[in-house]
Amino acid sequence: MRTSSSGGAGDGPRRLVVIVLWLLLGLFVLYPLGALIARALSDDNGFTLAPLIAAIDSRNNLRAFTNSLLLATLVGVCGTAVGFLFAFTAERTQASRLWVKILDNATLLPLISPPFTTSIAFVFSFGPRGFITHDLLGMNNASVYGLASTLAAETLTYFPLAYLALRPMLAAIGGNIEEMAFSLGGSRWRVFRTVTLPLTIPGLANAFLLLFAASLADFATPLILAGNDLPVLPTEAYLQITGMFDLKGGAILSLFLLVPAGFVYFLQRYVVERRRFVTVTGKGGAGMSSQGTAPFVGNALLMICLAVVAFILYLYALLVVASLVLAFGANYTFTLAHYHVIFTDGLPAIEDTLLIALIGMPIGGLYGVIVGYLVARTRFFGRQVMEVVTMLNYALPGTVVGIAYLLAFNQRPFLLTGTAAIIVACYVFRYSPTGIRTTVALLQQIDRSIEEASFSLGATSFTTFRRIMLPLILPAFFAGLSVVFIRSMTAISATIFLVSINWTLITVRILENMTELSLGPAAAFSVFVILTVIVVTTLLNLGLRRMMAPGLEIQVLRR
Amino acid sequence: MSASLRADPVGIRLERISASFLDRSRGMVTAVRDIDLEVRPGELMTLLGPSGCGKTTTLRMVAGFQEPSGGTIFIGPHDVTRTPANQRDIGFVFQNYALFPHLTIFGNVAYGLEVRHWSTDETRNAVHEVLELVGLGGFGGRLPNELSGGQQQRVALARAIVIRPRVLLFDEPLSNLDAKLRVSMRAELRNLQQVLHITSIYVTHDQEEAMAISDRIAVMENGRIAQLDTAEMLYRRPASAFVAGFLGRANLLRVTVEHVENGLASLDLGGQKLVARLDSTIGVGSAASVIVRPESISMGPPNGGLTGVVQTRTYLGEKIEYEVALAGQTLHVVRFDPAEDEGFAPGSPVSLIVPEAKLRLLGADAGVATGSQLDTAGPGP
Repeated sequence: MRTSSSGGAGDGPRRLVVIVLWLLLGLFVLYPLGALIARALSDDNGFTLAPLIAAIDSRNNLRAFTNSLLLATLVGVCGTAVGFLFAFTAERTQASRLWVKILDNATLLPLISPPFTTSIAFVFSFGPRGFITHDLLGMNNASVYGLASTLAAETLTYFPLAYLALRPMLAAIGGNIEEMAFSLGGSRWRVFRTVTLPLTIPGLANAFLLLFAASLADFATPLILAGNDLPVLPTEAYLQITGMFDLKGGAILSLFLLVPAGFVYFLQRYVVERRRFVTVTGKGGAGMSSQGTAPFVGNALLMICLAVVAFILYLYALLVVASLVLAFGANYTFTLAHYHVIFTDGLPAIEDTLLIALIGMPIGGLYGVIVGYLVARTRFFGRQVMEVVTMLNYALPGTVVGIAYLLAFNQRPFLLTGTAAIIVACYVFRYSPTGIRTTVALLQQIDRSIEEASFSLGATSFTTFRRIMLPLILPAFFAGLSVVFIRSMTAISATIFLVSINWTLITVRILENMTELSLGPAAAFSVFVILTVIVVTTLLNLGLRRMMAPGLEIQVLRR
Repeated sequence: MSASLRADPVGIRLERISASFLDRSRGMVTAVRDIDLEVRPGELMTLLGPSGCGKTTTLRMVAGFQEPSGGTIFIGPHDVTRTPANQRDIGFVFQNYALFPHLTIFGNVAYGLEVRHWSTDETRNAVHEVLELVGLGGFGGRLPNELSGGQQQRVALARAIVIRPRVLLFDEPLSNLDAKLRVSMRAELRNLQQVLHITSIYVTHDQEEAMAISDRIAVMENGRIAQLDTAEMLYRRPASAFVAGFLGRANLLRVTVEHVENGLASLDLGGQKLVARLDSTIGVGSAASVIVRPESISMGPPNGGLTGVVQTRTYLGEKIEYEVALAGQTLHVVRFDPAEDEGFAPGSPVSLIVPEAKLRLLGADAGVATGSQLDTAGPGP
């Protein structure tokens, strides 16, 4: 009930865990952020706003700022539209299960690929030697770089987030409300306009903000596709630091990034979440909602979705082809040379990436489960603050986190630059929040009386945790593992600042290959990453399914 | 039969127990106020009351899930007020069963024994014995979600009794079952409790269930015990309008005491006369109320005496319910097994006969606020 249960002895260990967590969060979340802000807002004489004001005055920075906002807004709008189209088609047309399954799997692909896979494929498709531009249309100087291609690539990369957010929403609105509207004599279009759409608006807003934040933080796509005419904040900050060794400039630019990101986070958490008309339970409403569209409209929608899917598959096919031919666009002779390159030259990157992913995985999984349990099931001073702090690195753009880590761990007493530890820490604190949320969601399905039953049968709180709670939240642990692994294999925006001669990552090597125009190895690396992720997550999912206690539901959100 | 599960029962005693806690929206809330309660060894005591009356909170304090903000709890001779739940030696049966979803039925029932480090053989035998006892022999290998609600509740019961607790605590254990199953399960529960002879506290809001199952019932209202007695005494001699209304249906009529003589009180009811037995002192001329059950009233053609006018007549098969206007108040009357031609039509005057032994006279303060007619708060949905 309302008061805390005093089941058994054992507050001591829990207090210790809380203290250790706070120390870790202080070191890996709060301190780097503080270091970033301190660096941006101070000089040798202490606090000053001068560099910040100078940076705001700079035309170049201002342009990057407006470009970032413009791009994020466009991606938000386009991605939400495509996501809604997919969700609506899956939930409200007569499309058969098979088609829906195809939509599901195709949208999964961008979620588990490195964030710039689409961009690379775009280069293969529309670049100077692109399959479409050069081979099919015979153009010789096609430029793939600019706003249009960046927008298209990011839309294709991120619309699955909107799809995942909107589909349960549409399902929850359910056919009943719409059938009610039909029964009152509304036409299909009228019902869509006056019932379905208004009810979905909070969901649409939420999806828009999700995509806005994702695009704002995206580093790899603009780096490859934006070109010189479209500077955006993450790439500018990166160039400041790696090109001009201007740490302060990078810090200031990432502050620019922090403002809209923080604003969006706030909107999402405190405005949109509270305006929801329906609570998403994960269970669909009474399924019969296929009346929502006329058959020909449904077929047309399905056709559009399948066209998008076909395009995505085409892009991935290009990637596979490019990894298997001598020189894409010039010489289509089959070869395994690129794979030979990545398993010889590129082997250190592969080994480092896998090692870091494998170290980070259990740590991240455990951290997620422990924090989730503490937040959801116990009471201690500062609990809600801890919840917010654990989400911080997750919500911040990767560039901000990367630069913050770079600044924070570059000097004693916390000299971690150049080690694997800094990369592992970055991944754990940035990507475990999914595990935390999954744990909390699972625990909310597990009534407190289950624990009380264990106490009443004579078990201590330790036995209760080990024999009852742990098995029940094991699926969340696995979900956490899988997300940390995927991200460790694919992420780049934060860790590009943290790699070193000793420790490098596949994603960084892909970017290097892209800038050196050795596209073949880049494609081979990408294919390797995608296959590895698919294999490992499939195994983890199998394990998860075996361990799932019957009757519980889990939804793994992939971002 | 299952002598191995039988032990000498102990009593439970609550002394001035109270529970207050801080609620975010309501501020300081007091759920239980200075309760004294004694459960005799082997007895099944029911805490009965509407939701929010403090019955579940009281039970959870006995279990040790919640600490009282004041007072002392004894189980047997031991003060267990500060003893954690896992050392109190209790069996608790939850409203939602609270079975461990990832363990089999066997695993669920064996859990408490494993925690107590019983040997594998002993555990297996005890679990099989208790599963037989609750009629679930052969179900050991199943998972909880493969069982029906009634079966799950039996597992919960088996899990609670297999550890031979000194005390069994039930928190609305039948309220998630459908009506028919509730009736048969409560008989089984009662039977089992008698066989095992375990001191039990049973929480429910269902008055019929409470009456069917309990040795004694404590009716709770606003964190206090309104009355504690056997079901029969509670029904016949309710101490307040609240108790009368919560157990069965009751009419509450406002009267004035005219005079008292030989243990009988003459009452004035808007100009008409009533006589009731008096078992406490009451001032002549003071306002009072009388409680009378709808089925205690006889009705006939007008022949003087107490006279009212029929307002509604509802035919319900085995009985007919009437609403009769009487001196500006409404009286509910139930006539069982009605004669074929019985028809006091609405608007017709009737004579009402109320035996003085069936009238319960209360002081004016004992429940006038509740209004003139009390329907049972009755079984919940």
